[in-house]
Amino acid sequence: MANLKDIQRQIKSVANTQKTTRAMKLVSTAKLKRAEELAKRSRLYAAKMNQVLAEIAGRIKCNKIGGLDNRCFLEIEDPKTVDIVFVTADKGLCGGFNIQTIKAVKELLAEYKAKNVKVRLRGIGKKGIEFFKYNEVELFDSVVNLSSKPDKDGSDSFIISSIEDFKDGKIDALHIVYNGYKNMITQELHVNKILPVDSTQFECEELEQSMLEIESDDEEKMLDSLVNRYVQYAMYYALIDSVAAEHSARMQAMDAATNNAKEMVRSLNVEFNKARQAAITTELIEIISGVESMK
Amino acid sequence: MDKLKLEILTPNGVIYNDEALSVTLPGEEGEFGVLAGHSCLTTLLEAGVVDIEKEDKSVESILINWGVVQVDEEKVIVLVEGAVAIRGETESAVSKALENAKELIESIKDNNPAIAAATARLESAAQNLL
Repeated sequence: MANLKDIQRQIKSVANTQKTTRAMKLVSTAKLKRAEELAKRSRLYAAKMNQVLAEIAGRIKCNKIGGLDNRCFLEIEDPKTVDIVFVTADKGLCGGFNIQTIKAVKELLAEYKAKNVKVRLRGIGKKGIEFFKYNEVELFDSVVNLSSKPDKDGSDSFIISSIEDFKDGKIDALHIVYNGYKNMITQELHVNKILPVDSTQFECEELEQSMLEIESDDEEKMLDSLVNRYVQYAMYYALIDSVAAEHSARMQAMDAATNNAKEMVRSLNVEFNKARQAAITTELIEIISGVESMK
Repeated sequence: MDKLKLEILTPNGVIYNDEALSVTLPGEEGEFGVLAGHSCLTTLLEAGVVDIEKEDKSVESILINWGVVQVDEEKVIVLVEGAVAIRGETESAVSKALENAKELIESIKDNNPAIAAATARLESAAQNLL
C-alpha cells in the first residue's frame, strides 16, 4: 500500500501539470485564431496570383511557336537532383504533427533513392532538423525560428536559392512538404511539387478575350518574374498554413493532456482515500486489541 | 465620371477594395494612369507610389515594392508584395506611415533609379497631407 504522503505529493504534481497544459491549450487557441485569420486573408492573393500566372502562361503556350519552353514549366523525365523543403514546428508537445511531416519526407526520400536521384534536403523548423540530424541524414541547409514566426522576407531569402538553382539547371524539381491546417481538429499533410509548375492546367480559353494586351517580348520576362513570386509565395503560404496547423495540433494535444490529468487526479484521490481508510482501520484494530489484551 | 473598381492585394490581405475615379500606377516602363473603361492590360509594376483618386476627389497614396496589375474594362486588380498606405489623421500618424514606407524602400536591395523616384514621390505625397 502506497504511503499517504507519496500519494498526496503525486496528486499535487499531477494537478500542477494539469494547470500547465490547460494554460498551453488556451495560448494555442488564441494563437490559432490569429494564424487562421492570416491564412484566410492570404488565400485571396493566392487565387489571384494563380490566375494571372495561368493567364500569361496559357497565352504563351497557345501563341508561341514551340509552346511554353520556359524551364519552369517543363516536366523533366529523369530528374538527377531534386530539392525537398520540409516545414516542421520549432517546438514539440503538439501530438503527431511533426512526425507526420517527417514520415512523408522519409517516404519521398526513399522513393527518389529507389530511382537513384540525388536529393537535397532543406529543413525549416527545429524538430524536423533534429530528427534528420539524429538519424544521420544529411541536410543541405536548414533554418530555425522561421516556422514559428513566418515572415515574408525570411521565407523569400530561404527559397530563392532553390529557384535560382532550378533555373540554372542544378536541380530538376522542388517539393515542399508541410502539415497544413484543415479545421480546428484536423491537419492535412501537403506534399506539393512546386517546380516545375504543372502546365497542363493552363488552357487556351483565355484567347477568346484576346483584348488582353501584353507586349510580346515582355511576356517571357514577366513570366520569369511571376514564377519567382509564385514560388516564394507558395513557400510563405506553406509556412503560415503550417503555423495554424501547429497550433491546432497543440491545442488538441493539450486538451487531451488536461483530460488525462483530470482523470489521473480522480483515480489518485480514490487511492488516497482507500489508503487513509486502511490506516484508520489499522489504528483502530491496534487500539482495540490493546484494550482487549489488558482485560 | 465613370468609376472603376480597384482591388489591391498583398500576401497579408486586401488593403484596398473600393471604387475609385482613377488610379496611377508605376509600370515597368513608366508611370501610367487608368480610368474606367481602359482596355485590358496585364503588366509588371516596379517600386513606386500608387495614387488613387477616390470618389470624393481626394487622393490616397500607397507605396509598393513590386507588383502585377491586371486591368479590364471595369476592374483593376493590383497584386503587390509589400505595401504601405500613406495616410493618417494627425501629423504624427502621417510621419509614422512615412517612416514605415521608407523602411519598405530600404528593404529593396537593388540599386535602381525607380527607388530614388519613389522616395521623391513619397516625400511630396506626405507634404500634400500635412
